[in-house]
Amino acid sequence: MAVKIVTDTLSDITSDLADELGVTVVPLYVRFGEKIYRDRVEITSEEFYRRLVNASTLPSTTQPTPHDFIEVYQRLAEETDEVLVIVVSSKLSGTYSSAMQARQTISGKCRIEVVDSLTVAMGEGLITIAAAKAVKAGANLNEAADLARRAVSRSHLVAYFDTLKYLAKGGRIGKAQGLLGSMLSVKPILTVREGEMAPMTRVRSLSAGLDYLYNFVAGFKSIESVAVEHATTPDVADRLVERLGSLVPKENVYRSVISPVIGTYSGPSALALTVLEAEK
Amino acid sequence: MFAAAASWLEKSSAEIDALNVFPVPDGDTGTNMMLTMRSTMEEAYRAPDHSAAGVALAMARGALMGARGNSGVILSQIWNGLSQGLAGKEKFTAADLADALESAAIVAYKGVSNPVEGTMLTVISDAAAAARKEVEAGSEDIIVVLEATVSAAATSVERTPTLLKVLKDAGVVDAGGQGVYTILEGALRFLKGETEQMRLKKPQIIVSDLPYTASLTQTAGVDEVPYGYCTEFLLKGEKLDPEVIRKRLEKKGESLIVVGDEAAVRIHIHTLDPGAVMRFVTRLGTMHQVSVRNMDEQHQDFLEMQKERMPVTDTAVVAVASGDGLVDIFGSLGAAAVVPGGQTMNPSTKDILQAVEATYSDKVIILPNNKNIIASAEQVQALTEKKIKVVPTRSIPQGVVALLAFDYEADFKANADIMAKALESVKTVEVTRSVRATRINGLRIKRKQPIGLLDGKLIAVGDTNSDVVEQLLSRLELEKAEVLTIYYGEDADPAEAEDIGATLTGRYPQLQLEVIRGGQPHYSYIISVE
Repeated sequence: MAVKIVTDTLSDITSDLADELGVTVVPLYVRFGEKIYRDRVEITSEEFYRRLVNASTLPSTTQPTPHDFIEVYQRLAEETDEVLVIVVSSKLSGTYSSAMQARQTISGKCRIEVVDSLTVAMGEGLITIAAAKAVKAGANLNEAADLARRAVSRSHLVAYFDTLKYLAKGGRIGKAQGLLGSMLSVKPILTVREGEMAPMTRVRSLSAGLDYLYNFVAGFKSIESVAVEHATTPDVADRLVERLGSLVPKENVYRSVISPVIGTYSGPSALALTVLEAEK
Repeated sequence: MFAAAASWLEKSSAEIDALNVFPVPDGDTGTNMMLTMRSTMEEAYRAPDHSAAGVALAMARGALMGARGNSGVILSQIWNGLSQGLAGKEKFTAADLADALESAAIVAYKGVSNPVEGTMLTVISDAAAAARKEVEAGSEDIIVVLEATVSAAATSVERTPTLLKVLKDAGVVDAGGQGVYTILEGALRFLKGETEQMRLKKPQIIVSDLPYTASLTQTAGVDEVPYGYCTEFLLKGEKLDPEVIRKRLEKKGESLIVVGDEAAVRIHIHTLDPGAVMRFVTRLGTMHQVSVRNMDEQHQDFLEMQKERMPVTDTAVVAVASGDGLVDIFGSLGAAAVVPGGQTMNPSTKDILQAVEATYSDKVIILPNNKNIIASAEQVQALTEKKIKVVPTRSIPQGVVALLAFDYEADFKANADIMAKALESVKTVEVTRSVRATRINGLRIKRKQPIGLLDGKLIAVGDTNSDVVEQLLSRLELEKAEVLTIYYGEDADPAEAEDIGATLTGRYPQLQLEVIRGGQPHYSYIISVE
């Protein structure tokens, strides 16, 4: 029986692609005031960002419960005896621990492996996609889990932020703390390092930011795939994809949207770019 | 009462030690004050009688004999002043206490060659003033007066960081001031009969809620490096004259304190040559409780300690800039140190070296930000074991883009390259005033007329700043520019700066424009175009 792949909504894999690859996506939660929504299920990205910009109090987020994972595991256990779960960095979210706790309650024949991606957004998404493709090509659980774990160190996420306000308020700023407090208006560029947000550099304008992202991709010798994501500026992300055409074949470039739970921290106008380096 | 105060202080000596900041070279204020108080109290118990005057005199004597460190010596002067204020008194009243505290403050100030505000001196004088005010308001109850005194001392401690920059940078209150407060508070608690609670509780350390400022190692270029030796001892002899001794030692070092009487004088000095100090004093009497400590070693330990608190990158950036606004901007963008300097006030290689040595990294990138400073910056490598790269920034805008381009993921060498490459992306426009009448580049310039430079080349002259800015910017393709930043100088009019900004925004709506105070001397405007 084929391995089933599970990830969370923070992987930013579009629902079309998830269907195509047979990946189950477990939603996190985003809360506006009293109301709690399942990420990308009960609130679309478009609606989320519209409300984020106008919100008087900022939204907050919650990880999936172990119960959410138990339900998914039980359903999949009826179809298969091998499940691979790839989740957002355990240093950014408690999703990993929910997935692990749920795993202990599933007894019987179904084997479940949980991989901590140590990254987020398409950084996590490209790892998941690579594992799903391997499974399609016939990989078993051990092989797919091994491939995913090796891909963790090859997945490089950089994000352009219009502001660090949301990240700082949400308490996820990590080592990028040092970029706060600038007296000039600057656009920070961050990365994920050892599972946490870390500073990369700063630019003064969007176009300088786009140049930086382009040069970031150009700096890699051998690329398996690239992903470009936007929050509220699809046309800007499209332009970047266009430019990247000279570096990476179009079919290896994924296009996605920063999901509401991540948007809570990235804020509007953010852009995310991931490079999955080819394996040597 | 004072015994209770002393034991109260002992309980918090460790916390007070933790408040120390370098360069307060005696890094153990709490301990020093505690040991001074112990000696003070030992002597107090040996007082010949139990009159207020007799006990206070014994305490002053004990404090002088046992004073340790800068803070201990000043504390001993507080007791000395207190005892002078209580001279001849059998008992003391609220009014006597106010008198005694006043005298304590006066004597404490006198003991120090260069009194610094924001220290225990400030706290004792604020406390004394509060006591006086309370008495003048008619209070006769000593507890009420002491309560006012303690509360004033607390406020005073809280405000020490606003008076003393090293405290503000370190985000702490003054350790010695905290010690004085703790002693006064201990005395008050004793009078209120709270001895039982005092055994169970610990004194509170006052926390100042100043906003956190970037920990910028500002080097003022003062000759404090090397720090030399912290030298202290008690000199015993006959007919000693503290005033004469102070005069003789003044030239021999810094932070000099000479206090005492004819029979015993306590001396504290930071000197490069402790031998010279000792040769001089041994002619006058005998030395006791001699302590000579190497402060450079203490400084090294301090740097090691700071290192552990620093974030990921191992490369530090040192920039040269003048003007409070520009210094703050470089600090806010992550420069580890800013050396004061710029046009007409080029820092020496030594000034830059000092800043380089003060950073916590052993790899340092220097941004000279002026063409005349590049050469001095390049000399630094020959004088230090640290690895140095100079990114040859010729203006403030170049310095800012270089610093912004700093890549946290890149190594030292790669960063120097990335930063140097960023310089191409910026144009520098500067507006200043001509120092004399001249003809240059086909321009006729009158003295004091606004003149304009584009990337260091004088190409414009006009009657007003705005006029010159206009001429300069017309040489650039502003419709293609993205970011324009106007740093206005100390003698520029902020309203004029805003006007220039508003005009530009109107004409080039795509420009991301910022007007910010640079506070730089000589240059009314420095404008960066990216």
